[in-house]
Amino acid sequence: MNVVEIESLKKSFEGRKVLENTFMTVQKGDIYGFLGPNGSGKTTTLRILLGILHPDGGRVNVMGLDPSMEGDRLRQRVNVLPESHGFYGWMWAEDYLRFFGQLYGLNLSAADCRMHMEQVGLDSADHRPIRTFSRGMKQRLGMARALVNDPEVLFLDEPTNGLDPKGRSEIHDLLLHLNREKGMTVVISTHILDDVERLCNRIGILYNANIQYEGPLFGASSRKAIRYRFRVAGEDRILGQRNLPGITVQEGTGNWFSCIIEDMKPEEAIKSLVQRGIPVTEAIQMGSGLEAMYLTYTGGERRP
Amino acid sequence: MRYVSPLIQKECVEDIFSSRGAVLYLVGCGILSVFSLLLVSNTELSLLDNAQAVYMMVGIVIGLAVLIAVIRGSDGFAGERERETLETLLTAPIDAEDAAMAKLAGIAFSWLIIFLLSVPYLWAVGSTGQNLWPAFEYLFLAGTLLVLIFGGFTLALSARIKTVKGVLSIGLLLFLVCGSPIVMGPSLRQSVIGRFMDVVNPFGVALNMLDSVVVDSQGILVQILPLAVLLCYTGAVLLFLHLATRRMGL
Repeated sequence: MNVVEIESLKKSFEGRKVLENTFMTVQKGDIYGFLGPNGSGKTTTLRILLGILHPDGGRVNVMGLDPSMEGDRLRQRVNVLPESHGFYGWMWAEDYLRFFGQLYGLNLSAADCRMHMEQVGLDSADHRPIRTFSRGMKQRLGMARALVNDPEVLFLDEPTNGLDPKGRSEIHDLLLHLNREKGMTVVISTHILDDVERLCNRIGILYNANIQYEGPLFGASSRKAIRYRFRVAGEDRILGQRNLPGITVQEGTGNWFSCIIEDMKPEEAIKSLVQRGIPVTEAIQMGSGLEAMYLTYTGGERRP
Repeated sequence: MRYVSPLIQKECVEDIFSSRGAVLYLVGCGILSVFSLLLVSNTELSLLDNAQAVYMMVGIVIGLAVLIAVIRGSDGFAGERERETLETLLTAPIDAEDAAMAKLAGIAFSWLIIFLLSVPYLWAVGSTGQNLWPAFEYLFLAGTLLVLIFGGFTLALSARIKTVKGVLSIGLLLFLVCGSPIVMGPSLRQSVIGRFMDVVNPFGVALNMLDSVVVDSQGILVQILPLAVLLCYTGAVLLFLHLATRRMGL
């Protein structure tokens, strides 16, 4: 069952197309990694999914509801940790949680608030004005707020920002627990690929106003993939041959081209290319796993 | 509008517990203290009629209330946007119009505090004369409408203009233009510009109404027209606020 469906989504800001015919599908129980470079439209997409930004066109469906028309009803059942989430510094942590609970129609007791705080690693002794909190503590409090209504779908924009390694690990454990024990669907927008590799079962890579890849993280093009750049004698001879077995050819410049090699050793790939009349004169390994995949789909390749 | 009451509560509590709110009230008390001292001295020396002193004090209270409404209205959405709390707020199951109504209620709460703070000062200035009770009644009535007009207008602007500085600049300019009847002498107010301002300016309308009640002791029938004008302005501002917050940007 799909809990998030986007089809042909369009959104422009002052004539600049941020999203153009974008699609996205998140299934119930997924931990979905939403990747893309800065400014690629991830936050815009999340805002549209929550109904706080209206699309220019396309179809958006979250849990059977149209966020533009039924935003209030939708936000009752989902929650979000935005990337830039300020706090009311004069409020105390428990009061902050109680206030947001009231906005969801919940009357949280002091014990409920403490439970939410402890869930994200905040001590009950941390009940003091939020302006005195460190950045990491604020991030944890933001996470506690995002869980206050026990959402069915949780959207997280850079959830481990400002957290130390222990804090990150605790948030990972919490998200995995919520996903496995409560069946909570989680959509994580992040630049930290390690978070995605540790948590997500499916990913979408947004680039050039569209989803370039959507599918399982541990599918054919991730863990086992190695990204190489090859120099060949002669230009553009390989670019027309994209369906070589085990080798996915990407765009190249000059006589350099990049490709992803899967399920074979690099020397076997070079041998295979040479046998097809493509004389490889130099090879440079660029990376492996999700990073390689991400760089490939977002055009972030470094020059050799 | 289901869960808007906690939002109203938050706006009111923030008004008292945030450092910004406390400073505004302290400054307000300082201004009222200085003016009431001046007015009491003048009436003691028989330089000023008691009713005239009450009218002037009422004008100061209204000016102060509108100034605070403009400041709070400017901070409404633009301030939350700058402090990055707006997005978190709007991801809760409320819409921007609910938030606008809660913020307007918060501005009205500020006015209530100013009004309560002004009571002892007005008492000190006007307790020995007549028309003090009508002054209280009409101050509350006219003040409430003016605060809704100016606070609502700047709140609507803050829904559309990104920065507090931008909204506050427009709000203060409007306040200076509309508040000019306070500093205009009687002869200036009889000029063409003065008369024009009295007709179209809600501030002028409110002051004329208070003048009529406090100084001239005129009854409710005379006040129907100015009250209707103020109510029309209030309605127009609420409509503007509704339109400005619909599909408000983050």
